[in-house]
Amino acid sequence: MAQNRSGGTGGSRSSIDSKLERMADALEEGEALLEILHDDEVFERELEEIFAKSWVYIGHESEIPEEGDYRQRSIGKDPFIFVRDENGEVQVLWDSCRHRGTKLCRAEKGNTTHFRCPYHGWTYRNTGELVGVPQKGNGFPDLDMEEKGLHGAPNVESYNGLVFASLDPDAPDLETYLGPSAWYLDLYFKLADMEVIGDPHRWEIDTDWKTPSENFYGDNYHVPMGHKSAIDVGIGSATAKGEKESELYAISDVGGHAFSIYQIPGEDFFWGHPPEVTETFHPERLTDEQYQIARQSGVSLGTIFPNLSFIYLGGSDDPEKDTVGTFCLRQWQPIEPGKMEAWNWIMAPKDAPQEYKDRVYEVGVGTFSLSGNFEVDDIGIWDGIPEAADSVFAEQVNATTVFSMGRGEDTLAEVDDSWPGPGTVYREGGMTDENQLEFYRKWHQTISEAH
Amino acid sequence: MWDIDARSVRESCEKFLYTEAQLLDDRDLLEWHETIITDDIEYRIPIRTTKERSAETEFSDESFHMIEDWGSLKVRVERMENDFAWSEDPPSRNRRFVSNVRVTDENPENAEVSIRSNLLIHRLRASDTDPDLLSAERRDTLRRVDGSWQLTERTVLLDHTVIGTPSLSIIL
Repeated sequence: MAQNRSGGTGGSRSSIDSKLERMADALEEGEALLEILHDDEVFERELEEIFAKSWVYIGHESEIPEEGDYRQRSIGKDPFIFVRDENGEVQVLWDSCRHRGTKLCRAEKGNTTHFRCPYHGWTYRNTGELVGVPQKGNGFPDLDMEEKGLHGAPNVESYNGLVFASLDPDAPDLETYLGPSAWYLDLYFKLADMEVIGDPHRWEIDTDWKTPSENFYGDNYHVPMGHKSAIDVGIGSATAKGEKESELYAISDVGGHAFSIYQIPGEDFFWGHPPEVTETFHPERLTDEQYQIARQSGVSLGTIFPNLSFIYLGGSDDPEKDTVGTFCLRQWQPIEPGKMEAWNWIMAPKDAPQEYKDRVYEVGVGTFSLSGNFEVDDIGIWDGIPEAADSVFAEQVNATTVFSMGRGEDTLAEVDDSWPGPGTVYREGGMTDENQLEFYRKWHQTISEAH
Repeated sequence: MWDIDARSVRESCEKFLYTEAQLLDDRDLLEWHETIITDDIEYRIPIRTTKERSAETEFSDESFHMIEDWGSLKVRVERMENDFAWSEDPPSRNRRFVSNVRVTDENPENAEVSIRSNLLIHRLRASDTDPDLLSAERRDTLRRVDGSWQLTERTVLLDHTVIGTPSLSIIL
């Protein structure tokens, strides 16, 4: 990949402040600045102002069910240990020995009561507490062990099993951060107890993390073109294949996050789950309005800012086999300007029959994964964006990306005032870019706030 | 006993793997699906994670990059032939290097043989000069069907935990 020269000396590229000003102007027009999708300074500031300030997804509690279970995770590019300590509490500990900074966690996952540094042997309980310093009496008689425990993320909270952390000591609580989005997340994580199956798919993609985050805010416009090959072979959802009469709703204005939800009027569809699975659900945990939306739901997707997305798909990996409800949770991790790592966890209702969960997993792999019949075509398209974003010419022509669909006279998408949930909700949700604009507005606001 | 046109079972298996590699390298996917695999094939690429040396295995028994049968492989192959399969249009250029073939079990009674081999895939797109490399061991079971080998079980054990190629829109 070409080196980005924007951070170099002697170049003629404009400063990040100029880019953010031009981004503000573009947003007024329903557009975004292309340059921000491959820029050294923008990337550095995203790490500092977005990833180190927002509530960032760490993992699901079902990934560390037993005391001592741990997983390596990251916030932006910073390494953390996601661990269930000996008291059963979830900890998010910065993976760096207080002595010389060495990473303590050398495996991606495992189970341990203690983390021992391989360098000099400083040893920490899985609560983060420092409990062992070799030769302490002879070498560090005055060392305050209590003061030298592992640094933990200042804020860690769980929402129905989803664990988030914020590195900002002044962050609002998670409930405030999620805001009205929780009304929608309840449909996926409260109606049923969800669990992660196995280990996440992880792979590197030459595109900026913002591109898929924004896409999952609600780029439903790309489906007929981008995913035609998968729809043609017959493995799409009933709604995508046109077998069910449905309406697509685009939901924004819910705390800076966004969702897209297909509704199949009057049907108990539940994202494609059969009755033997839906009977394990807990309708009493939802309001009547929420339950009504859940029951009529076909494909649903969304993103919690900055980089946690999901798609709930009623589909199959083979048209000869039954449709199942597959849930893919993904995180778009920043690696460097114009490059990211995708993480994909496939989830199923915990109380569903094992045989069904196996099918949920297989369909997840066959649709949205490194090898997914839908996913592969997204990636094949997205990797062309950073090269253009890094062009000298991009700045010369003030190149923008267009998110004005749904604006102006006689457009198809219109606000549905009768929708029972929070937010601004558009019918014909595939014909508006308001969701994706919400992403870029939230991005611009967050990255600009401290400056 | 095997009725093979080769000096050894190993050599005949090697020939089979080379034929298969040529079909895949040449993107003759429909022919691969029709001639190489049995209709009861089990094909999987388990996810690998970095674990401490004391761990029994680094490979997951419940999560996979691909977990396929004859039908789902047919879907993949047919999709790849579609005019709108953007991930492979223009196609990536893939060369499979198959080596270290060894026979680990012979079971003439059900006409099956277990083999292991090493696989290196050199993958280039567009004007790339740095290839994506995929390195793995394949553990295969071949079955003698009408005087030819067919693949009836494959487990691809990747050396990668994070995959350094943007999509698996190819068969390993």
